[in-house]
Amino acid sequence: MEIRNRLNLANVGSDYIHAAGRKLENMHDHLLELESKGEVKVMHINSENRAKDALTLFGWKKLIPTNKIWHHKSCGQCGNIPGYPVSLLWLMNQFGLEYIDERNQTSCTAWNYHGSATSNPVGLASVAARNWHRAYELGYFPVNHCATTFGDYKEMRNLLVENKELRDEVKRIMHKIGRDLVIPEYIIHYSEWVHVMRFEIAKIKKYDLGHVTVTVHPACHTYKMIPEDCIYDKDIYAGKRTAVSTGVALALGAKVADYSTWYDCCGFGFRHILTERETSRSFVMDRKIKPMVREANSDVCLTQDTGCTTTLDKNQWIGKAMGYTEQVPVMADVMFAALVCGADPYKIVQLQWHTTDWRPLCEKIGIDWKKSEEGYNAYLEELKAGGKPQNLYEYK
Amino acid sequence: MEYDEKGVSIVPLDFKKEIFKEARKDFRYDEYVLGCLNCGVCTGGCPPHRFFDFSPRIVLQNLKTKDPELIWTMMDEYIWACFQCFTCAMICPFLNNPGGAIAILREIAVRRGFESARKVLKPYSRVLLKLTAYGNQLSPDMIQPDFFPDWGPDISYASADLKVKRKAIPMPTLQITNLSWDVSPEAMKELYEIFDESGVFKIIEAVDPSLYEIIMDIVEDVRSS
Repeated sequence: MEIRNRLNLANVGSDYIHAAGRKLENMHDHLLELESKGEVKVMHINSENRAKDALTLFGWKKLIPTNKIWHHKSCGQCGNIPGYPVSLLWLMNQFGLEYIDERNQTSCTAWNYHGSATSNPVGLASVAARNWHRAYELGYFPVNHCATTFGDYKEMRNLLVENKELRDEVKRIMHKIGRDLVIPEYIIHYSEWVHVMRFEIAKIKKYDLGHVTVTVHPACHTYKMIPEDCIYDKDIYAGKRTAVSTGVALALGAKVADYSTWYDCCGFGFRHILTERETSRSFVMDRKIKPMVREANSDVCLTQDTGCTTTLDKNQWIGKAMGYTEQVPVMADVMFAALVCGADPYKIVQLQWHTTDWRPLCEKIGIDWKKSEEGYNAYLEELKAGGKPQNLYEYK
Repeated sequence: MEYDEKGVSIVPLDFKKEIFKEARKDFRYDEYVLGCLNCGVCTGGCPPHRFFDFSPRIVLQNLKTKDPELIWTMMDEYIWACFQCFTCAMICPFLNNPGGAIAILREIAVRRGFESARKVLKPYSRVLLKLTAYGNQLSPDMIQPDFFPDWGPDISYASADLKVKRKAIPMPTLQITNLSWDVSPEAMKELYEIFDESGVFKIIEAVDPSLYEIIMDIVEDVRSS
């Protein structure tokens, strides 16, 4: 099949044989086959990564590295929900794990692609390969903070395995920037790290959560994009839903409550959150927050992605104008885990950036947020007076 | 899109055929568009279907007819209703990927600079500028009360004393206000090279020529630094 894209910049074709459709192929096996033929380089998980096993949708084993992590940050988290990555790094510090967070990383560009279509598979795959190679040359394994990065990189990995001509085009571009195409053995989302570490995390928790009701919003790009490469567990919703986020909430001792629209997206829409916000707002209140509160009496909504956290948190206030009285604080699973393990609500979990009131949740858990607020305000004054920031790691 | 005084499309059929041919040429097309039983499972689970006149079943059915006229009717606003959540792809019993097919159609609309795509993406230009010129998409100083009044009175917290609040985030890469994280110039230069080679800059030129000029000015500055 000879296929040429309209820009004539890539000559992309497929020589891949499908037995039962793309979704039933185990790309990990095919990736290793290509490696054995010398067709691609593979970034393997090694003993220093201290990997833990998990099972995916069809029961295939996936190795999740827990150490020597290269943090692939998220545009929206770093820009708008800074407590999201900070909580993850803080938890890694609690376990003395090695990681790198650095400036030499670009966006995956996939939020932009799904919002505006101003890219193409060659562009997306090359950006992925660029960031993978950066992690590879440092000897650390990439862990993606954003669910859209996770979904996009899983898709790009699959397309690169399936299409020699795409591989060749990406290799050409990589060579042009002094890099090489090296595909990670597994594409990892941070929520998978949290999931396999959940029992370790639970050992250091500081509060009892027996009276706290959690609802989970699974992110579409975690489990709907390349669904076969997402963690499932027969002990969590009988293996019928992705296990991440729910798993850590249960391990921490919270009650996880079901609600009828758990499968719905958050209303982010990639484009809509910026350019058709009335859609996002209506979706948030009608399809997510209202059911979470009315059906589950939820104390907190746990998320596993950037866009979902923003959309579900920021759009509750305006709901009041349309008579919606339901409100529930929103935070990522890793922020909740850090909070319950004693992380400072202001300095670490950075809840002050959220717009839906999270203070009643802290009070229910037994966290003194007022003391934390005082400490944070004093810290801001120190910084204003020229004080040095207290960082989680030293930037080299 | 061009219409006569009665609102009937006057775009030549040959052009519509060309658009469909372009979609079918995409190497993902045959993976995304398989058999469709018209069961409607995709539309039943589709989030934007609840709020828009939009149905992934219709998208698949139109593509399966191979009728350029029908496919052309979706190239205006229709394809831009999709949330790109891929609920349809996950639940389709036949493993179709309507969301993926829509991405292909959107790419064509943008690449060819269709007026409908320009109109839909106009409010998106600030994000496009950040991403393509600086390497990440959203910056803390974009969260301003006058731009997000519907996010409530507490949103003003995000812009007041921003510099010191960002300095208080205990990750050195985040202690900046005009980017999500401080992207190194070498990473930006590599990204520009990728955008050049993969045609991303050309796509932006097609859909927003004035934005393209602004981006190129920044790119030249960074490249010469």
